[in-house]
Amino acid sequence: MEDDPKEYRWETGYEKTWEAIKEDDEGFLEASVADIIQRAKRKRQALKHGNQKLGMMRHLYILLDCSDSMSSQDLKPTRLLCTLKLMELFIEEFFDQNPISQIGIIIMHNKRAEKISDLAGNARKHIKHIGSLNRTSLIGEPSLQNGLEAALSSLKLLPSHASREILVIIGSLTTCDPGNIYTTIDSLKQEGVRCSVIGLAAEVHVCRKIANQTGGVYNVILDDSHFKDLLFQHVDPPPAAMCLESSLIKMGFPHQINNEGSEEPLTMCMCHVDSMDESSSKLTTGGYYCPQCFSKYCELPVECRACGLTLVSAPHLARSYHHLFPAVNYNEVNFENQTSYCFACQKNFGESDKQVYACPSCKKIFCIDCDIFVHETLHTCPGCATNLATFQISH
Amino acid sequence: MNNIVLPSEKTPEITSTDETSLLVIILDSNPSQKTLRDNPHVLTQCVDSVIALANSHLMQKAQNKLAIMACHSKTSQFIYPGPEKPLDVRQIDGQYEAFTIVEKTTKHNLAKLLLSENSTVITESLLAGAIAMALCYIARIQRTKPPGAKLNSRILVVTGSGSSASQYMNYMNVFFTAQKQNVVIDVCALDQHLSLLQQGCDITNGLYLKVPQLQGLLQYLLWVFLPEPPVREKLVLPPPVKVDYRAACFCHRELIDTGYVCSVCLSIFCKFSPICTTCHTVFKVPAPLTVKPKKKKIKI
Ligand SMILES: [Zn+2]
Ligand SMILES: [Zn+2]
Ligand SMILES: [Zn+2]
Ligand SMILES: [Zn+2]
Ligand SMILES: [Zn+2]
Ligand SMILES: [Zn+2]
Repeated sequence: MEDDPKEYRWETGYEKTWEAIKEDDEGFLEASVADIIQRAKRKRQALKHGNQKLGMMRHLYILLDCSDSMSSQDLKPTRLLCTLKLMELFIEEFFDQNPISQIGIIIMHNKRAEKISDLAGNARKHIKHIGSLNRTSLIGEPSLQNGLEAALSSLKLLPSHASREILVIIGSLTTCDPGNIYTTIDSLKQEGVRCSVIGLAAEVHVCRKIANQTGGVYNVILDDSHFKDLLFQHVDPPPAAMCLESSLIKMGFPHQINNEGSEEPLTMCMCHVDSMDESSSKLTTGGYYCPQCFSKYCELPVECRACGLTLVSAPHLARSYHHLFPAVNYNEVNFENQTSYCFACQKNFGESDKQVYACPSCKKIFCIDCDIFVHETLHTCPGCATNLATFQISH
Repeated sequence: MNNIVLPSEKTPEITSTDETSLLVIILDSNPSQKTLRDNPHVLTQCVDSVIALANSHLMQKAQNKLAIMACHSKTSQFIYPGPEKPLDVRQIDGQYEAFTIVEKTTKHNLAKLLLSENSTVITESLLAGAIAMALCYIARIQRTKPPGAKLNSRILVVTGSGSSASQYMNYMNVFFTAQKQNVVIDVCALDQHLSLLQQGCDITNGLYLKVPQLQGLLQYLLWVFLPEPPVREKLVLPPPVKVDYRAACFCHRELIDTGYVCSVCLSIFCKFSPICTTCHTVFKVPAPLTVKPKKKKIKI
């Protein structure tokens, strides 16, 4: 057994934060709890740096257990409903952070695997499918092997520059497989599919094996908020697997054609041209035109069906640039009246600001809230970005 | 402006008393922008118009909030409420005195900032940075508001500068942050068409207007930018312009409609090059458009 030495790490997953809680001068605990949370955020942020090479054209299959065990009520209201709710949030966030990536969804129940949503880059569609799962009948046992094989058969077809991942969410402690699951694990490994597992009940040996062998992570949840934490760690792209072939891919950035004055003709978009579902096929005036062959699409990103060009919206690509050009981390310094207010939010520093945060590049001083906001959300240092001498250095 | 359609009688959702509107105005007062070089008096007109807009905003509802920033190329600053203690203008016992404070503080702080600007070199106004500061300010007001209160925030950029793709990354970061925080970005362009800022308006559901003539600035500000976003649907406003969503290449900062994207870091280049200048990945031969999945042994 080459088991992870940090086995059962989940048992200590929540550090004993209460030991660190101290009363402040007035005897209040609240401030010190908030402090712990903020410090943890800063620490996580600091770790993110220096991780520049990321596989951002991610292809992720989500394998969802829809077996009998998902009806358990240890998560509220049930395991399934709790999972679906978190899944919706996850999908939104995933596409926010990985704009030209794709997700596919497979459910496992009654020993079978069923693909409910094909690999695609449209968050809305996936969320619709996830939403409709709450009426699914939870029956039988899941088959992990069938699920993995189904995902693998689709991931295998992807071009070699794409990153391939599977995320399994499983409530059952057993799996009912037609063959030897270890051969499946071997082929996952061979195809470079990174496979992670989130267990909703307890540690299962085969799950740990899958994750260990394919370079994924395995965790078991403690409660719903821990579940959310574990799920959301898959929003960040994994370090690009070394075997990925990197390439320069030709892409088109369609813009809406602007012919002043003249009425745009009603045309059929290519994405819906062969869809027989009358609710979705439509003649429209707006749309995005492939800059190479002028086929029209009503949604981006999409691969042009006529000429094969990958069409993306430039701002969506730009959404992920903060991974490449993160704002430089600030240094924590003792507050010695360097300035009377935070450069960004204009908050006046007072008694409670024992530490302030200095940008090593523009030297401006910030409060802890701005430090976190800049590095978690904004990704641009307001001090650097307002000075010609520094506005591009941070990049 | 007589083509304003009055909002229908009842608009309970926006008159609720616990809703506050925060307006942050970013005034590009960089003396090197073209409009000001041509005619320095324009600045006085702009400042007066902006103050009139600001006061009209405060007049609309007692709990409305206001901040005004000045944007230059070496720094950006809050000029109302300034970094210093509020100007001592006796006691505030009526709204009119509040208006005087806005005008006095704004002009006082702006004059101070302009005096400290000593170079005559033509420099770019760093509007993306100013928007970043405004977003931090808004985030603080949001954090410290009384529980249960609702705060609607928006940023209005008034600028006569041109658009340059050198701030591309900063612009995208602030636009997506604003979108996430539900902050609307409005842009009033005084001189040139600003395609990147226009993308920002589109991303955040704001309004973009290139003022046809500077003379009418105050009218345009009051007509287009005074109404709160929820009221705007009911008004006749300039028709939306189609947004140009092309990307800026990393090599020349030029807008392109097809380009090459690095599969590792998503940097965009206008020409094929054997190495990515951002992440230093070395590429294989130009990728043919339809890469057929090759069954291939994995190299270590
Ligand atoms: Zn379509
Ligand atoms: Zn095409
Ligand atoms: Zn701050
Ligand atoms: Zn800085
Ligand atoms: Zn170029
Ligand atoms: Zn690259």
